[in-house]
Order: sequence, then structure tokens, then C-alpha cells
Amino acid sequence: MKKNRLILYIVYALPLPLIVLSICIGPSDVFNFNDALIWLKNHLFCSNEPNENSYIIQTILLNVRLPRILLAFMAGGVLAVSGAAMQAIFRNPLVSPYILGLSSGAAFGAALALSISFAQVQVFAFGFGLIAVAMSYLAAIRQKQVSTVSLILSGVIVGGIFTALLTIVQFMSDPFKLQTIVAWTMGNMHNTNWASVESVFIPVILSILILFIFRWKLNVLALGDQEAQSSGLNPQRSRIIVLVAATLASSAIISVTGVIGLFGLIVPHMVRMMVGPNNSVAIPVNFVFGGMFLLIIDDFSRTLYSFEIPIGIFTMLIGAPFFLYLMKKTKTVWE
Amino acid sequence: MFASFNKVNGIGIIIFYGIIMPIFIISCSSSPKKHSNIEVVDFRGQKINLEKPAERIVCLIESATSGLFMLDLGKNIVGVSTNIYDDDIYKYYSVLDERIKNKSLPTPGNWDFVSIESVVALKPDIVIIWASQTESINALENIGIPVYGVMLNSYNDVYKEIEDFGILTGKTQRADSLISYTKAEVEKLKKAAGRIENKKSIYFMWAQGMLETSGKNSTVNQLIELGGCTNVCIENEEHLIVNSEKIIEWNPDIILMWCNSKMEPEDVLKKNEWQSINAVKNKNVFELPSIFYSDLWTLKFPQAARFLMHNAYPKLDISINPDSSCSEMTKFLYNTTLPLP
Amino acid sequence: MGINNTNLSIRDLSFNYGEKSILKSINYDFKPNKLTFILGRNGSGKSTLLRIMAGLVKPNNGQVLINSKNISDFSLKERASVLGFMSQHHTAIFPFTVLDVVLTGMVSTIKIAPSKQDYDLAAKAIERAGIAHLTERIYTELSGGEQQLVMIARVLAQQPKILLLDEPTSSLDFCNQIHVLTLLKKLSAEGITVICVLHDPNAAFQFGDEFVFLKDGAVFYPDNDSNIKSPNFLSSVFMMPLDIISIKDRTIIYSKDLPE
Repeated sequence: MKKNRLILYIVYALPLPLIVLSICIGPSDVFNFNDALIWLKNHLFCSNEPNENSYIIQTILLNVRLPRILLAFMAGGVLAVSGAAMQAIFRNPLVSPYILGLSSGAAFGAALALSISFAQVQVFAFGFGLIAVAMSYLAAIRQKQVSTVSLILSGVIVGGIFTALLTIVQFMSDPFKLQTIVAWTMGNMHNTNWASVESVFIPVILSILILFIFRWKLNVLALGDQEAQSSGLNPQRSRIIVLVAATLASSAIISVTGVIGLFGLIVPHMVRMMVGPNNSVAIPVNFVFGGMFLLIIDDFSRTLYSFEIPIGIFTMLIGAPFFLYLMKKTKTVWE
Repeated sequence: MFASFNKVNGIGIIIFYGIIMPIFIISCSSSPKKHSNIEVVDFRGQKINLEKPAERIVCLIESATSGLFMLDLGKNIVGVSTNIYDDDIYKYYSVLDERIKNKSLPTPGNWDFVSIESVVALKPDIVIIWASQTESINALENIGIPVYGVMLNSYNDVYKEIEDFGILTGKTQRADSLISYTKAEVEKLKKAAGRIENKKSIYFMWAQGMLETSGKNSTVNQLIELGGCTNVCIENEEHLIVNSEKIIEWNPDIILMWCNSKMEPEDVLKKNEWQSINAVKNKNVFELPSIFYSDLWTLKFPQAARFLMHNAYPKLDISINPDSSCSEMTKFLYNTTLPLP
Repeated sequence: MGINNTNLSIRDLSFNYGEKSILKSINYDFKPNKLTFILGRNGSGKSTLLRIMAGLVKPNNGQVLINSKNISDFSLKERASVLGFMSQHHTAIFPFTVLDVVLTGMVSTIKIAPSKQDYDLAAKAIERAGIAHLTERIYTELSGGEQQLVMIARVLAQQPKILLLDEPTSSLDFCNQIHVLTLLKKLSAEGITVICVLHDPNAAFQFGDEFVFLKDGAVFYPDNDSNIKSPNFLSSVFMMPLDIISIKDRTIIYSKDLPE
């Protein structure tokens, strides 16, 4: 119990310093870490030390780095929380926010938009992500009930359909567009600006709020439909609410960052190993820890300057070994 | 115990989201609208306004960079695309610009990736980039950097690009003279082509694969017709993949390869299934000699047409010698001598 | 806890599973504040009956009434505050602690997240079930019997007025069986109506107040002359030769076909 409290204190205390640190690091040759720190100090404490580079530093820190940092934090937080919530409502630790075809649908939407010149990529990605999930849900309904197994199954199939459609679009595209499409599907945040942050802010806030309110009820749902029903929680209705919230947030995030694979699957497990499966505690921790984790990964991704590796690859390369390490150390054994 | 923690969670998150983030978002306002005398419309249909001629240019398109050098704007370029430093292109640009020779000119991006930070750090007055890179364009415009988006489908588009560059930088005279020169070269070719009675048919082969070609609606098609031939590919698409059968059916007289590092004309001649094709039978398979000189997206495109015409109709009495016309062209366009392919 | 008089009655309850008829027009009034056992062979419809009474399965015909109100007219939360159900099988995927599992029974009282009082109530329920020493243990690491006790604590934490339990002792050792059945008896004395499906009639007879026998989907009553604790009746219900021994005021059933 003591150890848990310590972990919680650490997890909640770290975001702000991490964000400040992240603002100061970056690939620019024009100024370095110290310059950034000095500028920040000036700005916050209102002292006046005009620097020839001031305007550039300001533009880069506030308009290039800061929105990206905030988006990375939100994206990591959303994916982790959505993953945890989905694992609870599906009573399956192997699901991620993408299980219902979300990522395939969004990727297809983006590819479609990219090949129809100048169509809004974000809107298409968001829309088709939602369409894919809706299709999975409708396909799984039988007599007004949806069983978790049939939902996952239809999710896999719908995902497959959209992946096939995506492949068709890719095949018909010229090399330029194809490259853009492929880069999009691998996930990247290097074009993040305040507009992209603003566009996801509202769906993310609303959804996180809903999932936050539902966090304890996820425990009940995780036990089973019968147990939930007999103690007074409507499992069908709760599942829909959680699903809608998680899907909206994840779809909004995908539409600006592309597909960041494995993250929503791995982080809930990490958090579970750190603070236990009680969602009442784990959901907020998922948000904060997930946010920090993706932020750190993105910091790596953008400061290794010469070529920006798509963040999806990074989550694999950094996340997977860390996860394996935790798996070896932890005592809990899955049945 | 945990109950109090939940309160702490809740309050902490509300503070973070309710107060800190909006502060950040509000404090970063968008840039005010500028009033200006210089205005062009780029290939997206977007108006670009500058207060004064652009002095610092970041150009992330190699062909457009070529155009900037032709306009004598080399010293105004502060950032280029990474492929400027590719071997077969670098050897020309290193003659045109000392910084490129020393590999000291920054490369903040190219056609598939742009480092916004690096572009901003170069303090550009304008950024030239492919119109299809919508996300990067959005990111730059959101910070208030003017962006000129390029999309080229014909040589008229190339003229427009050069003209617009001239307006944006105050080099309108030079732009006009470059365009007139090229138009005159095009007329010469058209006249020569007019004298050809039986036009040969061509299959154009991109370097990515033997089955990749271009159809009617493309710069390649214009090249072919300028060279006095016809394109076997009658589809409309700018870039498409066909199958081997179709090519055999078309039976082109000539196969023209884009500059290809992986394959030589001999390799095409060896292809078993294609032995029945006229082009293969008569050994009429040619490869364009140099990306730099054959670039269909620059004012150098007539050179590619000359090469084609010379190889397609060797016996025709047209005084077109690709090598000498190449040096002439280079002298006029770049005001200097460059190595030949 | 006091005496309460929550009546549970079934009217004309029928249930079919496809072509097969499981329950045939059952009528019964469960006595309040008593411990009632539902007995019968496997496949007689006991579990199905219990689950219909809990509102988890919809009958093809008939009603379940609580104080003359149809349970389908209750909202889920209202019903949960009156009716508690513990099923026979439990699977848990996630390694929750026992305390967290027991807390999940308290949906009708917990608003958003458990408060200090909720934790105290859960602790009390855990103590009543006799597993206070297991409070911080991981549910998935417990034995089958211990897990069953946790589920009992969970339904106790719900504090319903009517308790429906499906084979609550199936994985328990002898001592824990006695402990749980004693607990159920105490609860009924405290004013909760406890209705339990059990497969062991001997255990039922030791602790129960009322008995309902199901045979072929219908309530089986003894003929006018005999009572339920007679060999003829019992042999008929369980469809095998049975005899009884009466010691003091207890009845023990045994099989007539026991080897010599």
C-alpha cells in the first residue's frame, strides 16, 4: 500500500516538469537547451533580456513545440485510458482502442482524403473511424444484445474490410500520394500546430470526463454481465457509453496523429502492474502516465534530428522491451 | 485512503485542463492579416500576399530550386530539399552554389517530411513546397509563414511557376525572358515535328518499375508529342501501372526510359516476353541521360524532347544535336557552364 | 436490520429453451423472513427458476412479483436494492483484490467512486462471510471455495431484502458449508428473505425453514397423506429409492441401494 502511494505521488508530480523539459529540447541548430531555458525564465518572470534570437525562440517554443507536446500528452493519455476502458468492458486484456476497426477505418478515411486532392484529411479520418466502429457494433447486435465475443469478432472483420479498401486506394495512388498515405498510417506529429490541438480538445475533454466518471463502474463491468446486472448496473447501456467515449476520443486523436500502434494495448498493462487493476485508481493514472510516456517517446522521435522516425515505430521499439521487462518482474500471472 | 486520492486526482486533472491549457492556447494568437502589393495565386488556388519581394526562400522542391537559380536567385535560397545532395544532382548544384558545394546549405525537409522547427529557424519570407503536402503547409501557414504550393501537370504549369516566382521576388524581367526563350525552343520543336509524316509510337517507362507509365494527361505525354511521337498509353491517368500483355498489344516502336539507376536499355532488350515488340526487335530502347537535364518540371524540358527526337528520327534532317543544344540551353538558363551528362 | 415483509411470488411462470419446456406454469409464494431451499434433480429447472426470479432471464409467460409489483417494472437500480443474486459460476480475468470485488456489489449505493463508508460496509460484509483475513488478497489467486465466499460477501454488501443464491456451497469444504448455511439462517432471522438452490437435501433439511421441490419443471407436492420428509415423496422427487432416519427432530436421507 505504501509503495502504491509513492508511485501515485511520483506519477502525478511528473507531468509539469516533464512538459517544461520537453519544451526546451529539440533539433534546432539555431539555439540549444540553455537558450531555451533562459528564454523561458525571462518569459515567466517577465525580465527583459532582448535576444536577437528571441523571436525565433518564441515562435518555435510556443508555436511549434508546445502544441506538439500538449498533443503528445493528450494522445498518450487518451489511448491509454481508452485501452484500459476497453479492456475492462470486453473483459479481455488483449484489446486496444483499435479493436473495433477504428484504426483501419481512420487510415482508409485519411488515404481517401489524401488521394482526393485537398479534401480534409482530419475530417475523413475521424468520420471513417467512427463509421467502422458503428459497423462493427451493428454487425454484432442480436436481439438487441451485443455479446463481447461477437463484438470483437465483427471488429476484426470490419477492420479487415477497411484495410483491404485502404490497400486499393494505396494501389491506385501515384508515388507522391502513396508516400504521404504510408507516412500517415505510421503515425506522426511533426506537423502539429495549435489548430490541430484545438480541433481535438473538445472531444478529448468530454470523453476523458465521461471515462473518469465511469472509472469505478468499469470494475463492475469487468466482473461480468450477470454480476453487473444483479448488482444494479445495466451492462449494455454502460458498455455503449464507455465505447462511444473511448471511440470518440481515440478517433479524434488518430485523425491528427495517424495510427500509433500498440500503445493503447501496452500502457494499461504497465499501469496495472504498477498500481493494480482497480480502475478507480488506474484510469486517472493511465491518463497521466500514458501522456507522459508518449511525450517522452515523441521527444526522442523529434530530437534524433536527421530523419524523423514515425512515432508508431518508436512506440514499438521503446514500449515493447519495457513491457517485457515489467512482465518478467511482476508477480501476477494471467490464467 | 483511496477515496481522498480520487479527490486529488480529480482536482489535479481539472486544474491542468481547466486552467493551464486554456492559458497556453489563448496566449498563442494567430498572426494578423498583412496588407501588400505583391500577390500571386499558387497551384492550390491560394492567394499569397507579400509586403515586399521575398529575400529569404526555403525551397523544398528540387525542380523549383533549379528554377530559382535560373532566375538568378541562388543567394536568396536559405534552405533546400534533401535530394539536392543526391550524387547525380549534387554535381550540378555544387557548381551553381558554393554553400551547396560545401554541403553547408540547410535541408529542412523534402517531399515526404518537413521539420517545421528547422524551417522556422531559417526565417523564410516564403516556403515553396508540393501542394500535396497539405499537413506541412497547414502547419507553416498556421505560424504565419507564407507558403507557395506547386502542382505541375503540363509545361504551361512550369511557365506559371517561373512567372509567379518572378513576381514574388521582383525578378519579373528575367522570368519573362526565360519563358520566352523556352517557348521559342518549343516552337522550333513543333515545327520539326510538323515535318514528320509517320509518327512513331512510344512507351514511356518510369524508373520505379517496368510497368509504370504515364497517360494522356501528363508532362510525359507532352514530352512525347513535343518529340514528334505518340504515346501508346491512351488512358488519361498521369501515373499508372499497366500489365505486360497490354504493352505487347500496344507494340510501341520505341521504349523511352526515365533515368534509371537499376536498369539499362540492355536489360529491357533481354526481356523474354517482350521480344515481339518492335522497339525491342529494332533495338530502339533509350534511356534519358540525366535527371538534371531531362527534368520535365523545369524549363529544361525541351532538352528531353530534343533527345527523344534525335534518337527517334536519326535520319531526319533536323539540326538537333542534343549535346550542343544542351550546353547552349545551360548557358542561357543558368548563365554558366555545367558538366554535361 | 429489523423484520421486513418483502414478499416474492411467482405466477404462472413458464420458460422454454427452444422446443424444450423447462418450467411449466409455476405458482409459488415465498414466505418472507424465511430460509427457503429449492431442491430437485439436475435439469429440473432450479437454476433457471432462480435466474428468472433474479430478473436475469425473461420468462416466456408469467410474472415474478415483489410485494405485488412485477419485477420488470422495477428499474435496475431499484431492483438491485431489493434483490440480490449470486450465481453458481464466476470467472474473473483481472487480478482484483477481494475488497475491490466485494465493493462491486454496491452499485446502488456508490455514486461515482467508493467513499470511506462504502469501504467500511464492504469490510463488514467480508467479516460476516468469515474471510476478513483475505481482504487484501488477489481474487484470482484464491481457491474455488475462497472465491465463493468472496462472492457471498459481495452479495451481502449489496444489502438486499431478498437474497437469491444458486448453489452457494458447491465449492466449499464441510466446515465452510456449515458456516455459510448458518450465516444464511441468521440472515433470514434478521429479516432477509433467503431463497437458495441446493443440490444436497440433507444440508437443506438441517438449516432450512421452507422447501420447494422441482420435478420436470413443475413444483412437486406430496400427496395429501404424506409430508415432504417421507421416503415415498423423496423417492418420487429424486427418482431413486431413498429412505430416511429421524434423530431427535432431524431427518437424514440416505440411499436404499447402499452396498452392504
